[in-house]
Amino acid sequence: MSTILKNVSKEFDQGKKVLDNVSAEIQTGEFFVIVGPSGCGKSTLLRIIAGLTQISAGTIKIENRVVNDLSPKDRNLTMVFQSYALFPFLSVWENVAFGLKARKVDSLEIESRVNDALKMVNLEELRDRKPRELSGGQRQRVALARAVASDAKICLMDEPLSNLDAQLRIKMRQEIYALQRKLGLTLIYVTHDQVEAMTMADHIMVLNDSKIQQVGTPEEIYQHPANEFVASFFGVPPINILPAQKISEAILQVNNDFEVTLPHPIEQKNVRVGVRPTEMKIVDTDELHANATIKAVEFLGDEKIIHAKMNHGGEVSVMVDSGAHFSPFQNVEITADAEFLIFDVEGNNITEQGAMVHA
Amino acid sequence: MKNTKKIILPLLLVIGAVLVAVFSNVISNKSTASSSHRTQIVFWHELGGPSEDALEKVVDGFNKSQDKYQVVPKYQGTYDEAIQKILQTHGSSTSPAVFQAFDISTAQMIHSGFTTPIQDFIDKDNNFDVNKISPVARSFYSNGGKQQGMPFNTSQPVLYYNATLLKKYGITPPPVSPSYSDITRVAKQLYEKSDHKVKGMTVQVYGWFMEQALANSGASLANNNDGHTGNPTEVNLNNPASVKFLEWIRENIKAGDFIDYGSGASAGANQTAGFLANKVGIFIQSSASIGQLTANNKNELGITYFPHPDGQKANGVAIGGAALWISNDKPKDVQQGAYEFIKYALKPEVQAQWQKDTGYLALNKDSQKQKVLKDLYKQTPAAKVPGRQLATAKPNYYNSGILMEGMQLTRQLEEIAMETVYNGGDINKALEKADKDINANLHTLNKANGY
Amino acid sequence: MLKSPTTDQTISKKQTVSKSKSTFKLNANDKYFSLLFLGPSLFILGLFVFYPMIKTFYISMFLTNTLGKTSVFAGFSNYAKLLQSPDFLNSLVVTLAYVVGVTFFTLAISLLLANLASKKLPGISIFRTLYSVTMGVSVSVAAIFWLFIFNPSTGFFAIIANALKMTPINWLTDPKNAMWAVIITTVWMNLGFTFLILLGAIESVPQTLYEAASVEGASPRFQFFKITLPMISPTLFFVSTITIIGAFKSFGLIDLITKGGPTNATNMLVYRIYKDAFYSGNYAQASTEAIILTVIIAAFTLLQFKFLEKKVNY
Repeated sequence: MSTILKNVSKEFDQGKKVLDNVSAEIQTGEFFVIVGPSGCGKSTLLRIIAGLTQISAGTIKIENRVVNDLSPKDRNLTMVFQSYALFPFLSVWENVAFGLKARKVDSLEIESRVNDALKMVNLEELRDRKPRELSGGQRQRVALARAVASDAKICLMDEPLSNLDAQLRIKMRQEIYALQRKLGLTLIYVTHDQVEAMTMADHIMVLNDSKIQQVGTPEEIYQHPANEFVASFFGVPPINILPAQKISEAILQVNNDFEVTLPHPIEQKNVRVGVRPTEMKIVDTDELHANATIKAVEFLGDEKIIHAKMNHGGEVSVMVDSGAHFSPFQNVEITADAEFLIFDVEGNNITEQGAMVHA
Repeated sequence: MKNTKKIILPLLLVIGAVLVAVFSNVISNKSTASSSHRTQIVFWHELGGPSEDALEKVVDGFNKSQDKYQVVPKYQGTYDEAIQKILQTHGSSTSPAVFQAFDISTAQMIHSGFTTPIQDFIDKDNNFDVNKISPVARSFYSNGGKQQGMPFNTSQPVLYYNATLLKKYGITPPPVSPSYSDITRVAKQLYEKSDHKVKGMTVQVYGWFMEQALANSGASLANNNDGHTGNPTEVNLNNPASVKFLEWIRENIKAGDFIDYGSGASAGANQTAGFLANKVGIFIQSSASIGQLTANNKNELGITYFPHPDGQKANGVAIGGAALWISNDKPKDVQQGAYEFIKYALKPEVQAQWQKDTGYLALNKDSQKQKVLKDLYKQTPAAKVPGRQLATAKPNYYNSGILMEGMQLTRQLEEIAMETVYNGGDINKALEKADKDINANLHTLNKANGY
Repeated sequence: MLKSPTTDQTISKKQTVSKSKSTFKLNANDKYFSLLFLGPSLFILGLFVFYPMIKTFYISMFLTNTLGKTSVFAGFSNYAKLLQSPDFLNSLVVTLAYVVGVTFFTLAISLLLANLASKKLPGISIFRTLYSVTMGVSVSVAAIFWLFIFNPSTGFFAIIANALKMTPINWLTDPKNAMWAVIITTVWMNLGFTFLILLGAIESVPQTLYEAASVEGASPRFQFFKITLPMISPTLFFVSTITIIGAFKSFGLIDLITKGGPTNATNMLVYRIYKDAFYSGNYAQASTEAIILTVIIAAFTLLQFKFLEKKVNY
């Protein structure tokens, strides 16, 4: 029992490919996040699953049923839009009941389902308000309640939190997650925010340039990114990517500034090395031994981010304890430990033996 | 202070603009007047279309015939609307020196006291023989033995038929002075013999025709001899003459040979189009339509007098059309110029050309001797019929028009009565209602006017 | 404090004096300014709105003579007479029938067309242009066009009826049909503008609302009635108000097509006022009717705003 995308492609009229040969399996009951930068085709993919956009090639199966030619209302799913798509002329209660009325559900059942849904999102007191009388978060909850009230087991969400401020976003993130778990929904969630993806997903699909970059659990994606794009998309501050050359069987010279030891032999001479800011080492040193200069220091409370300029070009970020003393224009030596990633010139991850993770 | 200045300037501009708009009218009027050495005679008229062209020909002729006066014709829309404009502008700079007012406004014009009787000018003029002008027409616009307005475009209602269609179906044409049943016979035959492709007849919903039916039957609409012996206080439309007229129409409606084109200008245009397109064989219309009906007609045009009730002779119909009046709010020389223009318009040659151009009847007796008219009669013998109808009738109170105020509304109410009957209503009830409404209006009007 | 009470006093005196002086000055300025600002509009309103209204009411209290001048004081008898006159009451009824008919059909048809034209179909822009084309047609052109169509012997309908061996309908001479003829013509004239406004409103409804509804299982019909209609209800309210007021004031078409006939079947109030004043010269009666019409339109507008405005604004 699952939702299966097989070789899904979408071209618009001018022959521009928006989705190129996308395949994936979404397990029933899981929280599945589709993430990628804007324009990568993630919203189109969601609309294709919903049936709002026609597919150019490939098949979509929901619960063993090919739904390519089914209209949205026959796919038995529900959707939360970025704009919430609330009806401004209807009260909260009527908004939630809208779909049930459209499906001509018995009025007693509508009553109980809508009330339950409102209770679930804590909107019982606001049931008679109009959308314009609600705050952003409350509107968001109405949209959620609408999804809840429909007994569809698949719920699609298109950047549902992007109109909220940072505080509220964190709160709603938790609520959505809790709701998904409680109801056992299959939730397909589109976002451009890697934090949302990492914090909520069971599985993440990373899309870029109309193609799938990687599908995996948050840990897999973070620790074993398939390529340089995925590696740099996840993590704050982003991973440091520096050019490197193999100078002996086991040694890579990174950016001509420092050296690292290869975990296993590689064929390529020229590669790129990725080091997470947390894995970088930084020490105060004199001008003679320094390989970098600090440009800026950001204080985050229990941590600090050091932005430094390497002597041979390129900038890196390094995460240190907030107790460490560093200041701008200070000369430092920056190196990396064993924890780093190696990418070939095409950007593929070749850190592990027999490389090419997932994809 | 700075702010005040900012406001005052635009304010002055606005006020200035308003003032300029208000006074520019006055200024421009003055400037046009001073630019010409001739005395300007503003002439309001209500003739549109081909008649307007013919009228401008008369005006041009007058302007060229002398160099003292300059007549400026201005079209004012329909007869009905013009009356109100004339009354409401009297005494202002925009009012006309000479104007055309239609037949049924005669009582209103006389009572208004806004005009100088033409008689005043005739009496001082040794070069004008008023007896040359048709007495029937003159008497329509006279009061207390004085010529008030001068008849100008004068017409009579006549009956037109499609002579070619009658010949085609072998139908005997109606006599020149037909009775109602003569016309019914022709209309029914035409409808039946054409296999219902041609409707037999129509009578436009037009109060004028109703009044003419009364005149031709020797019956009056209003008391005091249709207002000729005193101001009317009561009307009686529900009389045998009206009933016979409407019964005649109803008989044809029931037989299916009658087509109703309704009322108003569009109805007139529609019935003319229907007649020319062989959709209807007989209709009643002003003699002034004769030009239009001969110019665009492939068929031979037949004309008879206005039909009369069976079992009696035709009493003759009244004239229709309009007269020229001189406003008394203008200086002496302007009024004199207006009179000179009227005199010119009634010259034999002018009237002859006028009849040829428009179909209105030439009012000067000497016009008949003019070559223009002789040629016209030679070409279209039927064109003689309206003139003969006018000449045959002996003027009496019944056929000299109705000298009563509120005639516009009276006509509308007559038309509603006609429409009621055309749509299957009871004749007596329709006429009764018209009487009630006309009388109510007449009483109010008499009260308001202090008669 | 104790140091120099005199100077203190003088200072405070000075202050109060200058203060009161300045406030007085300001007041005068205010009056002067307010008049300066209000003056032009008061003058124009007074000249072109209030004076004619008061004058109209004044005239309605009298009888007017042949010259259109007030002569005999009549009090409210003009009103009493009119309100008892079957002809006038008939005018009220036909006006109402006309307003209701025109408004209903204008809105219904243009809503249908706008909804069709809002669909994204190939070549739809041609239809959009076609539907809105009557906006550029003047009253006289429309009247001539429809008179031609209604002509009982050579008109379009008559030709069709003859071809089908049916009796042609007397569009303009039968009182029952004349009202329809006038309504048809008015609706036809109204369509272009109303269509365009409604199309704009329909197109500004966020697409996601329809998408959300279609995911939730709403049929296109359900979507039209439960989303499109409520969403454009403020616009519907606006065009219906415009249409109703326009229908009340309808004059040109009536004058050109039926002249209020036959048998007063299309003698709307405004046309009746015109005829009474400028045909019959009965200014007293016309003024009385004008005042009654003003009251009716004011009441209509008030009712509309009171009951409908709440419902349509979300």
